[in-house]
Amino acid sequence: MKTVLILGERAVREAKRTPDALLPTLLIPIFFLIVNTGQAAKIFPTGSTPFLEGQSYAAFQLPATLLLAASFGTAALYLVEEIENGYFDKLRATPISRGSLAMGRLSAEALKSSLMTIVILLIALPFGIRISSGPIGVVLLVVLTAGWAVGYSGFLQFVALKTRNAAATNSASLIFFPLLFLTPNFVPRNLLARPMEIAATLNPVTYMMEALRSLILVDLDWAVIGKGFAVVAGFVVITVYANIRTMAKYD
Amino acid sequence: MTPPTDSAPAPDESRPAPSAEPAITARDLVKTFTGRSGTVEAVRGVNLTVNHGEVFGFLGPNGAGKSTTVRMLTTLTGITGGSATVAGVDVATDPDGVRHKIGVALQEAGLDMRQTGRELVVLQARLFGLSRADARKRAEELLELVELTEAADRLIKGYSGGMKRRLDLASALVHRPDVLFLDEPTTGLDPASRVVVWDEVRRINAKGTTVFLTTQYLEEADQLCERLAIIDDGTIVTEGTPASLKADLRARRGLDADPTLDDVFLDVTGRQRERRAGEVSEVAS
Repeated sequence: MKTVLILGERAVREAKRTPDALLPTLLIPIFFLIVNTGQAAKIFPTGSTPFLEGQSYAAFQLPATLLLAASFGTAALYLVEEIENGYFDKLRATPISRGSLAMGRLSAEALKSSLMTIVILLIALPFGIRISSGPIGVVLLVVLTAGWAVGYSGFLQFVALKTRNAAATNSASLIFFPLLFLTPNFVPRNLLARPMEIAATLNPVTYMMEALRSLILVDLDWAVIGKGFAVVAGFVVITVYANIRTMAKYD
Repeated sequence: MTPPTDSAPAPDESRPAPSAEPAITARDLVKTFTGRSGTVEAVRGVNLTVNHGEVFGFLGPNGAGKSTTVRMLTTLTGITGGSATVAGVDVATDPDGVRHKIGVALQEAGLDMRQTGRELVVLQARLFGLSRADARKRAEELLELVELTEAADRLIKGYSGGMKRRLDLASALVHRPDVLFLDEPTTGLDPASRVVVWDEVRRINAKGTTVFLTTQYLEEADQLCERLAIIDDGTIVTEGTPASLKADLRARRGLDADPTLDDVFLDVTGRQRERRAGEVSEVAS
């Protein structure tokens, strides 16, 4: 655990020194929030749209914004850079566990994502978006999004370790977009056309989105929130395990 | 070995007395890589023994298997066949044990360019288990040793090639390793920076650290190494002290004067130099 924190501290320091890499991860999701809300808000007016639970359409769109921001981690690309310049070998030659090596940057992604989520929520509040589940809901929202950031960055880090190639890693990051569009992103699942509903039901990101949406629009609906946390926990376990295995066999 | 520089420090008294066991052994070491284009046997049965406290040179042309051998000995790549020990620890069965005892400075100075020199050395020390305070103290000592104290708080991306090499050396020494592996430590450096790195290697060795050095520069091997081995096409083709290898070639060829290490190298690898389109390259005879 100590070595995870040491490597995480380094990654945070690195993020502070590269604000150019952080800024788009905040601006692009907010851009999508504004554009998607602008396009569909008139179709779904607050007063006559039951699934908005009395809030604006922007509140309905907020989970997609948070997930998008959490999917823009830089850990994998920095890892490819370190593989290419040889620093990764230097770290591999130290007597730390391969798990620490895998988790170092991911722990920093969790922190960065938490801060990013808080910033996006602070930006959203003046526009009338409320977190119906209260302070506990805000904490759960931050934890859930940070968990997603760890899982998704872990997936990209795994691709980086396998391919050792920046272009391949960058391309893999785009997989989030089809996954996002196969969720109930614009309307609840029961309003989707049947094939889309089936696709959304099979897509684990749907349960993340519904958990986040529940925290924002409804209250502490543990059945929905639980599914979101189960998805994140499973995703993190699988990706971190894949990272550790790949690092152990890395030649 | 008597260090040629006056500034060489006395042997480190805090260091435990070297054991009778060799610092490095390799027995029938083999490494094969399997890819889409087939299987390549990069190392084909290397046998070597490096004694405690010596600077051992590992020479060979490009692609001969030098770096692959180093990567196996430093636990960075798996061993396909044979066995190896470093500081008495088996490389294949106890890689973590080996990592505690070795320092590694690989080709092209692998460094994190977004950190300062001090941050990098402190981080390295902490990964070897030093407390934050002890790591800072050790970093101070090492940065002074490699004469980077003034540049310590600058980002590494602004360092010159020579400074990066010296920093890489410093970071490899944080835990006072028994064996230091240097893979082509001066490749790409200008002559002045090269001499500075040579001095550092001598100083480190004078403190009792065994140095395993790969190089393409025969002059470097002649300057630094007490013994050396030449590897070609994955196998060791000769081994000995620079003087004994030269004397052997002189006797075999009946030469009037001592040959250079370069002559020895060309003789045992069966290569000759040829100029093509203005470039000098080694070709098989």
